[in-house]
Amino acid sequence: MLKQVVRLLMAALYVSIPYAATAAERVVDPVASWNKHFKTWAVVSIVVYLVVTIPLIYFVFKYKRKRKDENGAYIVGNTAIEILWTVVPMIIIIMLGAQSWAVFNDLRDVPKDHIEVKAVGFMYGFEMYSPEGIKTINELRVPVGNVKVNLTSKDVIHDFALPAFRTREDMVPGENTYLWFAAKEPGEYPVYCAEYCGAGHSQMLAKVIVMKQDDYDAWVKKQKGDSEMASLTPETKGKDLVERLGCLGCHSITGETKAGPALNGIIGKSEELEDGTKVAIDEAFVKEKIADPKAKPIKGFGHMMPPNMLAKEEYEAIAAYLKTTK
Amino acid sequence: MTTQPAGFKSWLFTTDHKKIGVMYLVTSLVFFVVGLLLATIMRVEQLDMTKTVVIGANLYNTAFTIHGAAMVLFWMIPVLLGFFANYMIPLMIGAHDVAFPRLNALSYWLYVGAGLIAVMGLVLPGRLDIGWTGYPPYSITGPANIAFYAFAVHLLGASSISAAVNFITTIITLRAPGMTWGRLNLTVWGLFGAFIIQLVGVPVLAAAVTLLLFDKYLGTSFYNGFKGGSPILYEHLFWFYGHPAVYVVALPVFGIVSDIISTFSRKRVYGYTSMVIAIMMITLVGFETWVHHMYVAGTLNWTRVLFMWGTIAIGVPTGIKTFNWLATLHKGSIELNTPMLHALGFISLFTIGGVTGIANGLLGFDIQVHDTHWVVAHFHYVLAISMSMLCLGGVYYWFPKFTGKMYNEKLGKTAFWITLVGAMIAFLPQFYLGYNGIPRRYWKLPVEFAPAMKIAAIFSFITIAGFLMTLYNLVHSAIKGEKAPANPWNSLSLEWQIPSPPPFYNFEKIPTITDGPYEYGKPANTNVSVKRTPSLQGK
Repeated sequence: MLKQVVRLLMAALYVSIPYAATAAERVVDPVASWNKHFKTWAVVSIVVYLVVTIPLIYFVFKYKRKRKDENGAYIVGNTAIEILWTVVPMIIIIMLGAQSWAVFNDLRDVPKDHIEVKAVGFMYGFEMYSPEGIKTINELRVPVGNVKVNLTSKDVIHDFALPAFRTREDMVPGENTYLWFAAKEPGEYPVYCAEYCGAGHSQMLAKVIVMKQDDYDAWVKKQKGDSEMASLTPETKGKDLVERLGCLGCHSITGETKAGPALNGIIGKSEELEDGTKVAIDEAFVKEKIADPKAKPIKGFGHMMPPNMLAKEEYEAIAAYLKTTK
Repeated sequence: MTTQPAGFKSWLFTTDHKKIGVMYLVTSLVFFVVGLLLATIMRVEQLDMTKTVVIGANLYNTAFTIHGAAMVLFWMIPVLLGFFANYMIPLMIGAHDVAFPRLNALSYWLYVGAGLIAVMGLVLPGRLDIGWTGYPPYSITGPANIAFYAFAVHLLGASSISAAVNFITTIITLRAPGMTWGRLNLTVWGLFGAFIIQLVGVPVLAAAVTLLLFDKYLGTSFYNGFKGGSPILYEHLFWFYGHPAVYVVALPVFGIVSDIISTFSRKRVYGYTSMVIAIMMITLVGFETWVHHMYVAGTLNWTRVLFMWGTIAIGVPTGIKTFNWLATLHKGSIELNTPMLHALGFISLFTIGGVTGIANGLLGFDIQVHDTHWVVAHFHYVLAISMSMLCLGGVYYWFPKFTGKMYNEKLGKTAFWITLVGAMIAFLPQFYLGYNGIPRRYWKLPVEFAPAMKIAAIFSFITIAGFLMTLYNLVHSAIKGEKAPANPWNSLSLEWQIPSPPPFYNFEKIPTITDGPYEYGKPANTNVSVKRTPSLQGK
């Protein structure tokens, strides 16, 4: 009932607005319509700013106090002028609002011809799933075309911000949200987490890689076959995993302490655990730690790292790679 | 007339609205300085985007949490609703004190208690790193001890609610004979609107953080999306008060601007009635805006559209106020001293914040800049810097009244220009970052934006230096300033018609009011206002 009333009200508002025609039109490119909206806003804003500041400065000089006991003119107000500067801003705001509504519709109404992918936020990174079910970390590969991204989160609220396509939406644990974008040019586009999520927030970065359809098909084939991965050395494979799994969001390989300890040269080091015992870090410890990080927390760091389920060779590859870092 | 009690105990156990007001001012200025220091640390940290400069990510997160809380909850709201309301409302409406003086003292001490808990949240283990918004699930699952957060909000909420009850009652019932609603200072009107918002909004915030506390320590799942709750519920409850809280700051500020401009233009406030209507419109429509904080939070599409109209509609009454200020200057007799400069500087900064705020309110526009540095820049122009500046301007304006001393005009003007130049530029680079969609609350930004943030840092240091000069001026003048006359500005407003500083019971006899506070140069004025009788005039 309430919903119907609100809908009715919305419909009434919708038709009564002079710009409703614009809102009803379907512009296919949200980026272009956003850019146009920005320009309209910018022009209006600059005019408003000048309309306020120029008289302000002019009056201050023109009506400077000349005598000590001088009074200003006695003016109570002027209804006509006051109505004027109520109605004109109202019209400007309704026009801007209608344009914005149209842009919003572009940003939220997914065109019929689209592919669907999925992104899941975690502390600190993004799991991406292609329509073929290929899982990647912190990079989303899509072919040229319209892409709908279904969003959710594993732990806390994150956000999938895609400035190049003028869109973003929160990733809410236990709920499903979405956004869409029109991928036109092949290339790499940055993704940011734009909802504060803790120590690794500013390192929660990813990218969308738009590929030509042929390249994308080849990539899918390669991933399915996974033929190339087998021929790689464990060290190279380990490096690839560390980068792909998002480890570098919290662990540096340059020696700097981020949300977690630095990884370079960690094998062979000795660290103190939270319960006070000292451990010498060896390959076995590293493997155990990746699988179940909360079992033996190292002193001075939080308990933020999520557990991982990797294949046996993958644990070994990471350990092998870490041994090579200095 | 009763003599004024003196000594330390007279402050500790006072129920005098003027002493409580001054204590509010001093306490809130301490938090202002804390906020400025944290701002300095964060700006220094962002001078280099490749490595740690002074603090790591965890401490940075605590810094922006306490910076936000200190500035909004412990500086701006208390200085306006604590100091200005306490000190000025009884003087402006012609009353001996507030309606409930002991409740008033309780409000102050609850505020001090809340402040102490907030400071503990900064220094004790389990530091608050949840942002001043404290969104779950991070606030629940993260390392922060949110009991500090919840109890600080509870105490502060109790303080705010009792203050709101107190002052709404005071304004309604204790106006002197002849002080009609149409003769109230706009400062009183602004505060009246702000207290209504406090009364309606704060209980909801208290409920929101109580559920947060239950979720964390009692194992309930109001905000747990995996167990049938929803984190978005918290966002709704929080912003139901969290956004109108902005108008709690803005409305009294608007009132003070009107008073200052009228006094120093020696001219009636243009369109007094429309000013009052605008204040009340903002009070009302302010509760139909909160979802704009959740434009990308996964809320339903139609709710976003509905709240966009509410949000941008606020631009209309705000515009009315701005144009009325300009019209007040028109054909006035303008004296550019320190308080007036602060009021005009406020308008110029506030307008930048206003137009960029319309951008944030515009749904389609906002999606690109939501939770980016654009927002940071916007609210620092519209709220943080402009309104802090105006609060200090208001302190300058009434400084002779509440201290009985004159401030240093030259230092005041110098400090103003330093603050203004810094403030004008300090946040412009962040609009550029926001336009590019770079998120806020990032410890380190992408390196290509490092130069922009360096410019921002340098000018924010200038702003902070200006603020500190102002504070020095106020403290120094309060101790060593020259003696002030009762009415140095020749204002017609009631609070200036009594000696400076005011006597213990303000008015020996409750005055009878025969005219409004802004009637400068009223032609053929045969009404002899009590405010203009020589016995009440200063020299």
